Order: sequence, then structure tokens, then C-alpha cells
Amino acid sequence: MTDLASSWANAGAVLTVHRWMAVIGGLLLASVAILVLCLQFGATSVDVKTVATAIMHMLRADQEGAATLGTSEIIMVQIRFPRVLMGFFVGAGLAAVGVTLQALLRNPLADPYVLGVSSGSALGVSLAILFGIGSTFMLLPILPLFGFAGGLLALLLIYRLAQSKSRLPIHSLLLAGVILNAILTAFIMFITSILEPNRSAGLMAWLMGSLTAPNYPALGMFLLYVLCVLVMLMHKAQSLNMLTLGEETARSLGVETEGIKKWLFVLTALLTGAIVSVSGMIGFVGMVVPHAVRSVIGSDHRLLLPASALVGGMFLAVADTIARTIMAPAEIPVGIVTALTGGPFFLYLLLWRKDRMV
Amino acid sequence: MLIVSTGTCANANDEKSGMTRRQQGILTGMPFMTHVSAKAYVDDAGRRMYFAKPPSRIVSLAPSITEMLFSMEAGEQLVGVTDFCDYPPEALKKPKVGYSNPNLESLVALQPDLVIAPNDFLKPDVIVKLEQLKIPVFILADQNVEGIFVHIQTLGRIVGRSSKADTIAMQLRQQVAVIQRRIQGSVPVRMLYVLNSQPLITVGPGSFIDQLIRMAGGTNVAAKSATPYPRLSMEAVLQEDPEVLVFPVGKAEGISESEQQTWRQWTTMTAVKQGRLHQISADWLNRPGPRIARGLDALAEILHPNSSSGSRAEQ
Repeated sequence: MTDLASSWANAGAVLTVHRWMAVIGGLLLASVAILVLCLQFGATSVDVKTVATAIMHMLRADQEGAATLGTSEIIMVQIRFPRVLMGFFVGAGLAAVGVTLQALLRNPLADPYVLGVSSGSALGVSLAILFGIGSTFMLLPILPLFGFAGGLLALLLIYRLAQSKSRLPIHSLLLAGVILNAILTAFIMFITSILEPNRSAGLMAWLMGSLTAPNYPALGMFLLYVLCVLVMLMHKAQSLNMLTLGEETARSLGVETEGIKKWLFVLTALLTGAIVSVSGMIGFVGMVVPHAVRSVIGSDHRLLLPASALVGGMFLAVADTIARTIMAPAEIPVGIVTALTGGPFFLYLLLWRKDRMV
Repeated sequence: MLIVSTGTCANANDEKSGMTRRQQGILTGMPFMTHVSAKAYVDDAGRRMYFAKPPSRIVSLAPSITEMLFSMEAGEQLVGVTDFCDYPPEALKKPKVGYSNPNLESLVALQPDLVIAPNDFLKPDVIVKLEQLKIPVFILADQNVEGIFVHIQTLGRIVGRSSKADTIAMQLRQQVAVIQRRIQGSVPVRMLYVLNSQPLITVGPGSFIDQLIRMAGGTNVAAKSATPYPRLSMEAVLQEDPEVLVFPVGKAEGISESEQQTWRQWTTMTAVKQGRLHQISADWLNRPGPRIARGLDALAEILHPNSSSGSRAEQ
């Protein structure tokens, strides 16, 4: 913990508007480049020209035009583009939640799944599969709605469990989260064990983390939601800086810590619930990306938060492209790719930092 | 017609005669039976077993095995089945022992003199444990459709119902032959078998159902995948453009009606354009048992509706 705090302190170079603009601008450009690159790859090869015409069609959004599209254009417009975009925003959300929780809980191991909200989401989806519910409701897929509801219930439960005398102590929050996580996971295992084998395979595949191509209304709602929560998190970036110094210090600097903590906890939980409900459990993005970004640009959350979100988005978009193509026409769960690339990278960072300190 | 001769000689003669056994062994593709004694059997794990008399307390560890035993009227000898054994309805009345991880205590309490087990999906240590307890375990490995019929005949001889079992095997072989004749010359139809749609999971090469698809005159659009149960890319599905979508349905499994409808969003797909979205009873295709011919018939009917009605009129 102390070594984390010191590394945060010394890495924090002075943040100027110039530096902020340069870093975020550069990352935005890189993100666009990565997204365009990811659109080139898939189970079927689609050439650059098709990508261009497909995007043109999409921008014009003419329904009559859509009817005349060929298979490659349909693949581009209806499958690959929404999926790549979805992957980017899931990754961005996971990384942003990771940054926030690592600061809020002052724990370098915190990731979006540590607080049990994700298991609540997963349990919601498991129940939906158990009772054979699975379709769309007002254009929105039902499974994510169940996932979201489960996440919200878990959020309320953790909040009530951790709260004592209208305060929200960090350690009880962490503990309540970890324990609730274990209990909810046990329920999920139970459901998996009683399901008919074919359907439990489907549930397992979902739990392993997978991105599917959402329809546009669902994608639009998800993007809007993630953007809103990201903006609200950004708004509290300065408070996060204070919180990393310790609650006492933050309070003495005039930060209303209890209110901020509760607000940040609710925001991260809302974001996690939504992400898990559309993509299952995708590990390592929320933990590795913040650490990697922090080691390069420092720990001022006003820069760290948006930069991590962009890097997380790029990371997941690339990881999902690998998951989509490496065994084409079959796919592998994207969670495997993120763990296999993120894990070793994290270990490398750890060794590198140890060397530097000696 | 090799198929028919197997059945007739089994029917005409007492199965204990060595000559007939040798013929059967050769004709059913199990030459090892020519040199083992009348009551010794070799299972698919290569283990030799000897039964002094037909077992009377059998536990079946797969729904397909339960169906086989009931089909040869050996239901009386069955004392335990899996949680998923629901056909024929009499199977529901039998004591349950679990499924892939059966409850060993309740299994042993049934005092079985034979456990018949599939080689896949069973936890490996279950068989080891049963062997330690000196309970004979006969393992059946699913390889292909003909293998099912051979299994029926082998089980028939073990449980002392060989003439009935041979008749059933012969009838099933004839049914399969009729189906294959019916679709002969038809152009294979591209189809997708949807095991799970969120995420999309289907059957690939090496799976039992992939083989049935080919026998029923279809081409699996997932034929290029490297694994038997791949998570298929939706892009690949649109590229391969299936002419038929098949959804397995059943009591406890399958894909709901409304979820099937979501497939209609892919308006460029030939299957959607022509409205060829079909359901099939999952149990018929998933279980390598005596209802496989019915499953194959239903699949062939879905893929080649015209040829089927034509040949029916002829008969």
C-alpha cells in the first residue's frame, strides 16, 4: 500500500491543460485508428472499400439502402461495427471502474469484480437462463435486463451490509463485497450444476465473457449510459486525488468524504452492472490497464481516468478482434485473451518496478 | 444386403450356437466376438467382462442407454437411471442416481450387478471408484450411427434379450437405409444447428449431430470449425448463408420461440428469406439411442421436404 502511495505521489507530474490535451488527443486519435483497424479483421475478410461503403451507408442510415446491401455490408454494419464499438466501450468502462475503485478502496488489487456487483449481475442472467427466459423486450435483449437488475440488487445489499451509522467504511465495503461475491458465485454454481447439460454449457459460455453484436437501439442505450457515468466519474476526479491521500487528509482538505465515497461507489456499481450484463465477466482489463497507464502518465485522476478509459477501450477492442479471428470461423471467449495477455503484462510491470526500486 | 442378413440369422437361430455368433461377429463388424466365449463381452474401453447369467440389477448412466434397455423390454432388469432419463415414461418411475457426477452412495445402495455407462461426460473417478467396489461397469463409446445399433445388439446379448435387440437393430438399420435412399441424389442443403444463441454455439466436425446432418442430406455451415461444439462467429454464418435453421427443443432445453424469432432480423439469410426455421426434438438427435432413426427422419424431412413426401406416396 505504501509503495503504491509513493509511486502515485512521485509519478504525478504537474498536470497542465496542454499536457491533458496532448495525452487525451493522442489517445483519441489512436483509438479511432485502432477501431478502424479492428474493423478490417474478422471471420470473413472484408476489404477496405466495403468497410468504407458500409460506414457511408450507416451514416446515411437509409432504410431503403439497407435492403440492397450485400452480405459483406450486412456483416460490417450489423455485426462487426456494433461489436467493435461495444467492445471499446466495455473496455473503457471496465478500466474507468478499475481506476476509481483502486483509488476509492486504496487497494491496488481492486477491479470491477471485487465488490460483488458483477456476481449479482451474473446471477440475474443465470436465473433468466434457468427459467428459460430469453428474448427481447421492447427491442432490448432480456438477458442484460436481468443482469442489470441482479447487479442493482447486489449493490443495494452490499450498501446496506457495509453501512454503519450512516458512514461507509472502506474495509467493511471490501469485506461485504468479497463475501457477497462468494455467496452469489455459489448460487451460480448451483444453477450450473442443476441445468440440463446443453444449457449449462450456454451459461458457462456467457459467464466466461463474450461480446456479441447488439442491435442498434441496445447499443445506443449502452453507449449513452457508459458515457454519462464516465462524465460523472470525471467530475469527481479531483476528489479521487484527495481520497488517495487517505480519508483523514481528504477530510482535512475540505472534501466531504462520506458523500463522495457513496456517490463513487454507486456510480461504479451502476457501470459494472451494465457492463457485466452485456458482456459477462471479462477479467484483467479493470486491473491491468489502470496500473499500466498510471506507470506512464502518473496518478492525477483528472488525466488518469480518461486516459485509462481510452486505453482500456483499445485493449478490449484488440483483444476481442483476436478472440474473433484466431480460431475462425469459431470464436473463443474474450476473457481468455484478456487474461492471457493482461496477466503476463501485469507480472512484467511488477518485475520491472521491483528492479527499479533496487 | 448385409444389413438384413445379420438380422435374419439372428432371428432364425438360437444365439448360443457358436456358428451364428461367429457370423454375427463378422457381420456386425466386431470380429473379436468370434474368439470370445458365449458370455464374455468386451466393452468400448477394451475391458473384457464375463457374465455367468444375465444381470438382473442394472444401473444405466445415460438416457440413451435407458432407452435402449426399455426398447428391448429389459426395463424390469433396470434398477437405477439418471436424472435425465425421461423416456419411455416408465423410466421416470425408476430410482435416480444423478447424472455426470452420480451419487455413489445411492448407486451402491441399489446393489447393481452391472452399471452401463457412457464414456463421455461421466466424471472419470466414478468408474475407478465403482471398479474398486467390484461393481462391473460396461462402457459404451458413441462413435457413429451404426455404433448405436451394434450397442443395442451387444446389450441385448448381455441382458439376455438378444433376439428382440437384433430385431430392433435390424429395423433401425432398415429405417436409416430408407431415409438415405429417399434423399439420394438430392443436392445437400446448407444448415445451421443452433445449440445456444447467446453466444452462438453450434455443432462442428467430430460431433455426433454433425454426422447426422450429413446422413440426412445436409451440409453443416460450421464444417470448417476445428472443434466439435464451436462458438461460431455470426459473420461466418452470414457468409456461409444457411438455407435452413434448426432449433433443438425439448422440455428442459433448447431455444424459446421468441428467441428463434430474433433470427429473423438477418433478412439476407436464405433460411430467413424462405422462412425455413424449424424445430426438432432435441432428445431424438442428442441421445445415441433407439430413437435416432426418428431423429434422422425428422431432420431429412426438414432438409428435403419434397423428396420425402414423394417417396412416402410411392410406399
